[in-house]
Amino acid sequence: MRGISTVLITVSPEASRQMRPPRAIHPKDFKIGNSLGRPFQRELHKRVLRDALSLLKEPARPGEIIERAYAEYGEQ
Amino acid sequence: MSRKCVPFTPYERELSRATVAIVTAGGVHRKDQQPFNIADELGDLSFRIIGADAAADDLMVTHHHYDHSDADRDINVVFPLDALNELVKEGFIGEAARQHIGYMGYTMQLKRMYEETAPQIAEEIDKRSRADVVVLTGG
Repeated sequence: MRGISTVLITVSPEASRQMRPPRAIHPKDFKIGNSLGRPFQRELHKRVLRDALSLLKEPARPGEIIERAYAEYGEQ
Repeated sequence: MSRKCVPFTPYERELSRATVAIVTAGGVHRKDQQPFNIADELGDLSFRIIGADAAADDLMVTHHHYDHSDADRDINVVFPLDALNELVKEGFIGEAARQHIGYMGYTMQLKRMYEETAPQIAEEIDKRSRADVVVLTGG
């Protein structure tokens, strides 16, 4: 079977770090249950998804969880 | 498990040609599918295939180990179906995969999940989803 390129969006970076994922992004301070953001924050969901997918084209940092901050998450 | 090598597959294409599938551990499934068995203390090891033609309103969460009240309002917070489809329209990625996958990530049977469920999901993605990229989410 050929390999499949993957990227993880994690809101539990400590647990994820132990699994040593090939690519992972941690949206800073997003609570469990809000991996992409809050309900209906569609532009934020897209930003997080774009950032996660962009890791596929960045230099490899296997096992590292890349933290990104999103100011919009704080807004209700 | 942390003693194993990092499984890394380089991505050689342009993202604008990528076919992307979502695989979530957040207990997402279609409303017309069997829910995950949250009464099973060891954790339900099964997964559900979610066709690309699903609408957000067709989906729901069955999971006992995280607060999914936000996902109950908008499944996209753990299963970014609409966001993914919009990235396709914008040309950021090529297409959404034919199938996405939901499973229930809480388990006391980590070895079985690793040895059974994970390869089965990979097989589905490889053979039937035709994705070359998978975005994984927890809850």
